[in-house]
Amino acid sequence: MTRTTQITILVVLLALLSLFYQGLWGDPRHIPPVLVGTRAPVFEGPDVESGEPMSSEHYKGKVILVNFWASWCQECKVEHENLLRLYDKFKDHPEFVMVGINYQDEIPKARAYLQRYGSSFPHMQDVKGALAIDFGVYGVPETFVIDKQGIIRHKWIGPIVDNVYANLTKNVLTPLLSDPNPAT
Amino acid sequence: MIIEIGHFSVVIALVLAVFGIVSSGLALRTRDADWVRAGRMALTLIFILLSVGMAALIYSFLARDFSVNYVATNSNSQLPLFYTIAAVWGGHEGSLLLWVFILSTFSTIAVWLHWRTQPAIMPYLIGMECLVILGFLLLILFLSSPFDRLIPAPPDGKDLNPLLQDPAMVMHPPMLYMGYVGFSIPFSFAMAALLSGRLGEEWIKVTQRWTIFAWVCLTTGILLGGYWAYYELGWGGYWGWDPVENASFMPWLVGTAFLHSVMVQEKRKMFKVWNLFLIIVTFSLSLIGTFLVRSGVLTSVHTFATDPERGLYILIFVTTIIGLAFGSLMLRANKLKSQIEMDSMVSRESVFLFNNLFFLVATATVFLGTLYPLMIETWQGAKVTVGPPYYNTVFMPIALGLLFLMGVGPYIPWRKASQASLKKNFLIPVVVGVVSTVVLFALGIRSFFALTGAFVVGFSGAAIFIDVGKISSLYARRESINLLKGFLSAFTSNQRRYSGLVTHVGVLVLVIGIIASTVYQTEKVVSMRVGDEFVIDDYRVKLERIHDVRGKNWSAQEGVFELYEGDTLLTKLRPQKRVYDASQTPTTESAIYAKNMGHIFLTMPDVSADGVAVARGVINPLILWVWGGGGIMGLGVLLNIFRPRKREE
Amino acid sequence: MFRLIPIPILLCFVFPGAGLAKVVDETEIDQRVREIAKTLRCTVCQTENIWESGAPLAHQMRQAVRERVIRGQSTEEIRAYFHSRYGDYIMMEPPKQGINWLIWLAPFLLLFGGGVLLWREVKGWVTRTPPHQPPPALDEAARRRIERELHENQ
Repeated sequence: MTRTTQITILVVLLALLSLFYQGLWGDPRHIPPVLVGTRAPVFEGPDVESGEPMSSEHYKGKVILVNFWASWCQECKVEHENLLRLYDKFKDHPEFVMVGINYQDEIPKARAYLQRYGSSFPHMQDVKGALAIDFGVYGVPETFVIDKQGIIRHKWIGPIVDNVYANLTKNVLTPLLSDPNPAT
Repeated sequence: MIIEIGHFSVVIALVLAVFGIVSSGLALRTRDADWVRAGRMALTLIFILLSVGMAALIYSFLARDFSVNYVATNSNSQLPLFYTIAAVWGGHEGSLLLWVFILSTFSTIAVWLHWRTQPAIMPYLIGMECLVILGFLLLILFLSSPFDRLIPAPPDGKDLNPLLQDPAMVMHPPMLYMGYVGFSIPFSFAMAALLSGRLGEEWIKVTQRWTIFAWVCLTTGILLGGYWAYYELGWGGYWGWDPVENASFMPWLVGTAFLHSVMVQEKRKMFKVWNLFLIIVTFSLSLIGTFLVRSGVLTSVHTFATDPERGLYILIFVTTIIGLAFGSLMLRANKLKSQIEMDSMVSRESVFLFNNLFFLVATATVFLGTLYPLMIETWQGAKVTVGPPYYNTVFMPIALGLLFLMGVGPYIPWRKASQASLKKNFLIPVVVGVVSTVVLFALGIRSFFALTGAFVVGFSGAAIFIDVGKISSLYARRESINLLKGFLSAFTSNQRRYSGLVTHVGVLVLVIGIIASTVYQTEKVVSMRVGDEFVIDDYRVKLERIHDVRGKNWSAQEGVFELYEGDTLLTKLRPQKRVYDASQTPTTESAIYAKNMGHIFLTMPDVSADGVAVARGVINPLILWVWGGGGIMGLGVLLNIFRPRKREE
Repeated sequence: MFRLIPIPILLCFVFPGAGLAKVVDETEIDQRVREIAKTLRCTVCQTENIWESGAPLAHQMRQAVRERVIRGQSTEEIRAYFHSRYGDYIMMEPPKQGINWLIWLAPFLLLFGGGVLLWREVKGWVTRTPPHQPPPALDEAARRRIERELHENQ
């Protein structure tokens, strides 16, 4: 066996080892956000509670936080408290809008969920999941932040637990809201 | 109580595995045969203790002891007895225990079987097997124990995944593991050869039957998995190139290369290092496959709670074994300068080398495809899918190349092939290959895959047919018997060669089945009410009624479909849409009618509240050749393993 | 190995007047939906396309495909739409561009490179091997028997 063969085998084995090692710590939930930096899709649909039509067209020029959720989703319950807290924090800001999108749910169940866990911001129906596909959603909960220009600036997969909440409010929403650029 | 006995036995087995390693080490140091005997005793006891562990787990399942966590997670009081056995290895923990149990069984058999003839190998064999057993026992006892109690015990278990409640799943995991584990015996012999410096052909001759046995188990395991996917998953396909399937296919590919390559060493005493390399890679891939499947490295998104600790442990263990193997190979390989004598480029030796090249490139392709998403994620943070379209494109040419070599190899002489012999052996096969392609083309078939496949299959098939025909008639004339008796006489005169050719015929049949059922599959999905019918190929399928049926642990909506060819009623097909009681998981049960070696495959994936059923019909031409080919391959191997010893070379 | 069970698309047809038995068939739209759905990956499953998968997301994606087919979009437009939402991950095979050429070409490069190396190596062995010694002469009886068998064998 020549030196070159030996070195080749060694290099291949070490490369594999490091790849496997890296792979072990990979977060299976990490999904590259292809949509971040692109224009957010227009989303419209009936309000979950009232049935009135809603449309993202009405929120043009504002910072929009979009949260996908469902009544059958366990992890959504985990983040619900923080969502209400977040809305309370920013609701008085004239350029802030928050919309929940109820993903693939039954409307009575969704309504019951909102009654039980509390509802302060509006929610849109997406029974067939078409909006979710427009946003490239894999599952619920997922959260998006759209800036005043209508560009998706941030995406979070999984529940908004406390440290995610802190990061979202401090490093994402606050800078975007204080962005003086007028809407285009 | 029973499960604690099992747990305790496995703990003792772990201690004995350590003892086995130490005693083998001492045996090598002191050259004292007593230490070897002690090692044999340890290994035998490990086997007995693991049998007790296995029996305790099986008993807990049969006794439906839901205070055992593993039993509660993987079975249910209503689970039929047959599937309760399958449930023992239906989950992660139990399948690891099965793995190590089979390993201890095989190594104990190997030690007793070769004790007299291979005394020098024994310490290495015992040490190596104990090391692998130890690795698995540590994993079982500390990171995934099937013996843990669940206090308080739930009133009933969660049930076995309904997809696994299938006859094929009872046998699929044991066969697969017998294949993986079977390769550990030639692997250990190879390691012994390396470490002891007894590098002759001995280890290859001794382990030849083990290798073939492991190979046939792995083949059966893979085919059973395909068969299960075919009728349980309900989309009419049997191979999806998913990581778990690939993990079993890779050791199969290298194992097959090894099976061929050892013949060169036996006949011509060449490629010693190469054969050691191949068996080390084969067993390494078995272990890496276990790592990939069990660590969660390759799981998809939204599978939560993969445990990096468990994965890290398996990685360390697998690295240790593989590192040990390759390390010894590198250190010892220079002593192995075998005198290579090649008389000609055109010889059986060189065909074997190219066969090996193709098998290894095939393995590398599957390996790369399986790991590519992981690589891209690590390097670029991006996600990418490597699915069947990729494999079908790149694997097909390699597979066809291998099939071609399969036709060439057995008919090219050792050392040197003359022009005349090439012409004599291959002229007719080439003509047959061309003719089959032309015939298919004339029949209107335009798929490149099918046309190339026809040439290769025609070529290789003709080569085998001519060979068998000639030798049979020769024997028939020489011994003045009829052709059939001549065939039998020829067959037994060199059973090793001809049983190999039987396996090759099986491969050809399998390939014809694969080509026909992939390229010429027809599918139709329609919505229909009772009384409606749809036409697929030459058949009419009419929905006669939909009714509810009840099984032991499931209830279902069953569609009764009449299958007509013209106006003749062929049969009534009864696909079901089942919901299992305990888990409330829905499954679709397919209904199958076999005709002309193909299948008419029907599922009813959905029934709406107002009585509209979705029916899915698939025509899979020649699909029975896939399983039939597998059966012929297995037959060939059995004829090889049980060949008479008398006329051995 | 654990796949979910497929629930192919619920066709969006309303069948008037139950009881009136008729021959149903796939429409061109159904066929195109299948053709496209087979090339898109179910993003929440193991390697499985949205046609064969039974996951709810796959079901919705099939519906999204259907709606777009009905709207008259081409296969490429529909695939591009999904690609813009989910990236390369949604395609059943890596797109043939950039670094992905590595995986598409690797098998053939390995086969070619390995073939050339092996050829040269074997050629080297052949030149280094002294010409094979002819086997010792046969006695007359054996020679005649072999000739006869060869003759019979023709």
